[in-house]
Amino acid sequence: MRRAISYCSSSIGSSNHFDSSSTATAASSSSQRDHNTDLSLGLSISTSPLYARKQRSPIKPLLRLELAEQDECNSATFYVKVYMEGIPIGRKVDLLDRRSYCDLIKTLEHMFNTNLIWAEAEVNGDHFEEYHVLTYEDKEGDWMMVGDVPWHTPQLKLFYLCMYCRMFLSVVRRLKISRSSAEL
Amino acid sequence: MVVTDESLELVAKSFTNLQVLVLFSCEGFSTDGLAAIAASCKNLRELDLRDSEVDDLSGHWLNHFPDTYTSLVSLNISCLGSDDVSFSALERLVGRCPNLRRLLLNREVPLDKIANLLSRAPQLIEFGTGTYAAELRSDVYSNLAEAFCNCKELKSLSGFWDAVPAYLPVIYSVCSRLTSLNLSYAPIQNPDLTKLVSQCPSLQRMLVLDYIEDSGLEVLASSCKDLQELRVFPSDPFGEEPNVSLTEKGLVAVSSGCPKLQSVLYFCRQMSNAALVTIAQNCPNFTRFRLCLLDPKIADYRTLQPLDVGFGAIVEHCKDLRRLSLSGLLTDCVFEYIGMHAKKLEMLSVAFAGESDLALHHVLSGCESLRKLEIMNCPFGDKALLANAAKLETMRSLWMSSCSVSLGACKMLGQKMPRLNIEVMDEKGPPDSRAESDPVDKLYIYRSVAGPRFDMPPFVWTMDEDFASELS
Repeated sequence: MRRAISYCSSSIGSSNHFDSSSTATAASSSSQRDHNTDLSLGLSISTSPLYARKQRSPIKPLLRLELAEQDECNSATFYVKVYMEGIPIGRKVDLLDRRSYCDLIKTLEHMFNTNLIWAEAEVNGDHFEEYHVLTYEDKEGDWMMVGDVPWHTPQLKLFYLCMYCRMFLSVVRRLKISRSSAEL
Repeated sequence: MVVTDESLELVAKSFTNLQVLVLFSCEGFSTDGLAAIAASCKNLRELDLRDSEVDDLSGHWLNHFPDTYTSLVSLNISCLGSDDVSFSALERLVGRCPNLRRLLLNREVPLDKIANLLSRAPQLIEFGTGTYAAELRSDVYSNLAEAFCNCKELKSLSGFWDAVPAYLPVIYSVCSRLTSLNLSYAPIQNPDLTKLVSQCPSLQRMLVLDYIEDSGLEVLASSCKDLQELRVFPSDPFGEEPNVSLTEKGLVAVSSGCPKLQSVLYFCRQMSNAALVTIAQNCPNFTRFRLCLLDPKIADYRTLQPLDVGFGAIVEHCKDLRRLSLSGLLTDCVFEYIGMHAKKLEMLSVAFAGESDLALHHVLSGCESLRKLEIMNCPFGDKALLANAAKLETMRSLWMSSCSVSLGACKMLGQKMPRLNIEVMDEKGPPDSRAESDPVDKLYIYRSVAGPRFDMPPFVWTMDEDFASELS
């Protein structure tokens, strides 16, 4: 059976070698993006047009339903761009494919090989320098810590929209992983 | 559906005379699998990867079509990623297939390559561009315009990812013949968008973002008298404030101006019962009506009443309605109307609606043709399901998520209906760890003569007779 969702803490021994001088570059390149719209709960999104990607999780109901009509697609994705401070090349994460903040955090910690501070993280004070803070940009342009907003609602809303839309709805959002000392 | 490269290789080896392969919303395979198909299936006419997710290993799979292969009629690779297509191989393939009628490119094909492709395939009927954005260059522009002009049989256009207005006029020569136009990936706004639409009097099918606004829809209504299908998608579904002026008025205008309108998918932020009644009266021939209000529980913005009466008018007037999606503030009443009138309805989608099990009961007992029902976040479940268990066997499937269906009811259904697969999906843990009265997260019920399946992910459990007895 599945393991229970454990509280998100991972212990990664090695420290992270990231160049702090690249911070400014990462921040300024992100501010040039158009992200003046946002989720009703605060995750910022860009107004880039919709493009198609397919979800992975087989449990999404839309996958199960028979597709009798042309051009009708069953899946939905909710890709977010994630950048780590100091690294200009980002990664993408499908929020709809994650089941909770814990799941998202674990995925990102694995992807970026770091420990993450977010709203519900337990931080080991002795190894503070090994942590990165997970933040997102809201519509006011403020960088907020991830985790205060209920997880279900953005996912649920997207799920609702996709239920009716039958289309690959891929909206790119932005999360940023930044050095803990710079943010706190 | 999960399809592996091994499966594709097996298909390729076993069915060398294969003519049509459609992989609709599949995943788990790579371009290696496609290469196997290309190499073996000498009579392949149609390869359609519609919305599949393909692992890109090599853009050279197209090279595996032998030089003697000339049978291609339809190719849809619009879902492929950046490394998945070798452009020169594609050009050669297109050039040697004189019967190619349908070509849907992927996003990565740049705009300046399209003219060459089109000039090799002027017989195309349906074409999907790649990215439709580039710096304006007069040579690219004129090549494109000429290429499109030479496609005398082109009737359907799509793609247009990231489209910029500068290159829109190159398709003007085609517009008068277009019957289908999909601009749902194009962030084009008015007046460019409206101008384009006004040049397409033969349109039967229009897919567009809400940048078209009410004003553009009015132009559509007056220009496109043959319109049968309209889909308007939200450009900014999560914004708190509307970013465009698209309301119920646009849809009313189209319903009034386009007598052949049959199929609608419309995303907007406000609706009124009066508008829905007008739309229903204008379009008694609707076969598909899907309205998605971005705030799922919003009331009639003029009267603050639920939208029951409006949707009731739709089902009452549109006697041939096969597919319906509801949204907005809705009580049990709308379900009573649906059960009473929607006798040809085959598929119903509902979210955040209704008040009690009566709602579900009306639908299950009244909708004689119902095949598929999908419900999310509605406050009903047990009683209606158990009372209408036999109905579920006449349907293709039922999906319910975040409703009030208890584990106990699911188990009872599993025991009572051996020819149904009652699948419970729950992230929180196995059902035996929870109380009978706990609501299940997601429920999927479908009929099967093959019994329960065994290839489910770990958070899916089948409630069958064995399951129920194991736990007691």
